[in-house]
Amino acid sequence: MSLRGLVKRFDTKLAVAGLDLDVPAGSFYGLLGPNGAGKTTTLSMAVGLLRPDAGQARILGYDVWTDPAEAKRRFGVLPDGVRLFDRLSGAELLAYHGLLRGMDAAVVDQRARELLDVLELGVDNRTLVVDYSAGMKKKIGLACALLHGPRLLVLDEPFEAVDPVSAALIRDILQRYVAGGGTVVFSSHVMEVVERLCSHVAILAAGAIRLNGTLGTVRGDRSLEDVFVQVVGGRTATGSELAWL
Amino acid sequence: MSPGPATFVRLRIRLTVNGLRGQTWRVVLFVVGVLMAAGLAVSGYTLFALPGLLGEERAAGLLATLGGAGVVLGWLFFPLVFFGVDESLDPARFALLPLRRRALIGGLLAASLAGVPAVATLGATAGTVYAAAVLGGAGAAVVQVAGVLLGVLLCAAVSRAVTSAFATALRSRRARDTATVLLAVVAALLGPLQFLVLASAQNADWDRVERVAGVVGWTPLGAPYSLGSEVAAGRVWAVPVKLLIVVVALGLLVWWWSATVERAMVGTAGGTRASAAAPSVRPPVDQLLLAWLPRTRFGALTAREARYWWRESRRRASLITFAVVGVFLPVMLTVTGGGAGGFLPFVGALAAISLANQFGYEGSAYAANVAAGVPGRVELWSRTAGFSLFVLPLLTVIAVVVGLAAGRPATIPTLFGTLIASYGVGLAVVLPVSVRAAFALPDTQNPFAVSSGGGLAKGLLTFAALFATLAATAPLQLAAYLVEDVWRWIGLPVGIGYAALAYLIGSRLGGDLLDRRMPEVLAAVTPNR
Repeated sequence: MSLRGLVKRFDTKLAVAGLDLDVPAGSFYGLLGPNGAGKTTTLSMAVGLLRPDAGQARILGYDVWTDPAEAKRRFGVLPDGVRLFDRLSGAELLAYHGLLRGMDAAVVDQRARELLDVLELGVDNRTLVVDYSAGMKKKIGLACALLHGPRLLVLDEPFEAVDPVSAALIRDILQRYVAGGGTVVFSSHVMEVVERLCSHVAILAAGAIRLNGTLGTVRGDRSLEDVFVQVVGGRTATGSELAWL
Repeated sequence: MSPGPATFVRLRIRLTVNGLRGQTWRVVLFVVGVLMAAGLAVSGYTLFALPGLLGEERAAGLLATLGGAGVVLGWLFFPLVFFGVDESLDPARFALLPLRRRALIGGLLAASLAGVPAVATLGATAGTVYAAAVLGGAGAAVVQVAGVLLGVLLCAAVSRAVTSAFATALRSRRARDTATVLLAVVAALLGPLQFLVLASAQNADWDRVERVAGVVGWTPLGAPYSLGSEVAAGRVWAVPVKLLIVVVALGLLVWWWSATVERAMVGTAGGTRASAAAPSVRPPVDQLLLAWLPRTRFGALTAREARYWWRESRRRASLITFAVVGVFLPVMLTVTGGGAGGFLPFVGALAAISLANQFGYEGSAYAANVAAGVPGRVELWSRTAGFSLFVLPLLTVIAVVVGLAAGRPATIPTLFGTLIASYGVGLAVVLPVSVRAAFALPDTQNPFAVSSGGGLAKGLLTFAALFATLAATAPLQLAAYLVEDVWRWIGLPVGIGYAALAYLIGSRLGGDLLDRRMPEVLAAVTPNR
């Protein structure tokens, strides 16, 4: 995935200000940033959900905005803060996504069952997705993104609201996916997860990349958290403020 | 110390202003809405004042009482059914603030009085004051002023109390869904009922109507508005009694409201796990698709759409409303003597109108289709197909029922032709509109909520589409009238052809528009949080 000069302005606020990012194929790429840094906006523009004011986004060589059909065929997305078609059951939702991607019905059936089984969502569970818990919704969303076997996964906050057991499961799945040649880009603000999983990291603040590269070069000999706080420019409590607490 | 009502009023006004900031089309729609309300207020004032001008004491009493009761009922049902409650001052948003309940209730009531509808209501009902002044002198006018003010208070209290009570009662998703649908049935039946009342009013003598008005005047609905005419008629003793009735009703409403507001503030308590449906062993694709749909993108989209029309409460409500209105009104018209033929294009157009904000129903879930890159035409075709699975059988039923009710079964095919033609033309108009003017419906606990502002204005756009459809089907109506004999034979094929042609143009236009605007549509239907 390669992003060049992406700009997005909301009313008066500049959400993403000329962002460049190259995600090498086969990498496990963590996009870090504080709240409001523009992570979701960037990823939405990268996958064609939000039209950028300027710049381009290429995925596996296809421009998302000039050749959307080819580009969209090659990646899977798990957007954050976006509803699913939640009046369908899990199985129905997967079938819907599969057919929407132009897959063969028999393949959809087989893969959907496997995904429901592995993600412990229940193959014969007919509960509507709207009645799922937050963690289950994340898992079914991930299943939808994986279903068509894309070469690139773009995941926005995949570990949010997920219980530790499911998180471990998702980590395993993603690691195996990358080991098999896939590329994962995901956003998070949880350092531990990024430190544990990623081969590459980019730190995003105020709509621009502040630091990026392999985990080793970004981190150096410090902890990722220290680097992050320093780059983003967070303040540390000195003890003099909020004395009344 | 708790803030006074003025704080809430300022908050409400600030929210309205901020909602309009920087969005030209919203400002335009808001202004149109205000102008409409002003127009309604002026015409209401004129209507209520007319008996005074003519010196018709009897008519003044009737009109003020029944009209006033109608206004109160309107405040009760309108927000529930059509435009939703203004959620900008949702009690749940105040849950964490240390507010006394009285301050909250007073503030919310004051805030809902500070809106366009309340001012318009006040303006319209003020006409009764004029009538009372002319007919009963200064005393009657003063009493009527009190009545009108109390009336507006009553209206606001009724609508807030009922919607709040509903919001509280509907904790679980399932209960909410059911209630939305039930309410839609009730609301849809109101139309036919009203029609029945009107029809019988035409036959009824004035004495009977007057007796009804007399009774209504003693209920909280009509009491505030009948004060002036009581004075004019010399029954001054009735005034304190009726005032008491209104004040007691108001007190009860506010008490009920404050009881439910507390529960509404606590919000949705989870815990009601939906009973698990019976497990299914069918493969996922068969679970999604109906047996005869193709196992393709089109099939999946159509099946999902069809399921949504049934499973999503807002959609099911609009479907049921259409079914009731579509079947009952033409039948009523036929039975009461007027021909229903001229009304049928309206029914067909009404069906298509349900799709006017089709993207808004699912909100940000549409992102799945954008990410998958569904071509615009496939999207619109499948949506139409999914909806038509419900509508076409309904239209058939309507044609048959109307034909039989009129005692002329031979006209059924032409009736059906008219319905199809208007449905097709309606789709042609509505599909591009649904792409161009999609708007977000809020994700709230309250199934009747429409985001603040814009609700009324978007309703206007729908009306415009309705009229455009009626205008576009006028040639067919004319042809049916001019060549009545031949029309019996060619009505159906011509209707279908007309519909197909219009639909092809409209869906092509809308589809191409959608291809260019997919991310914009997604942004438009994503609720702001």
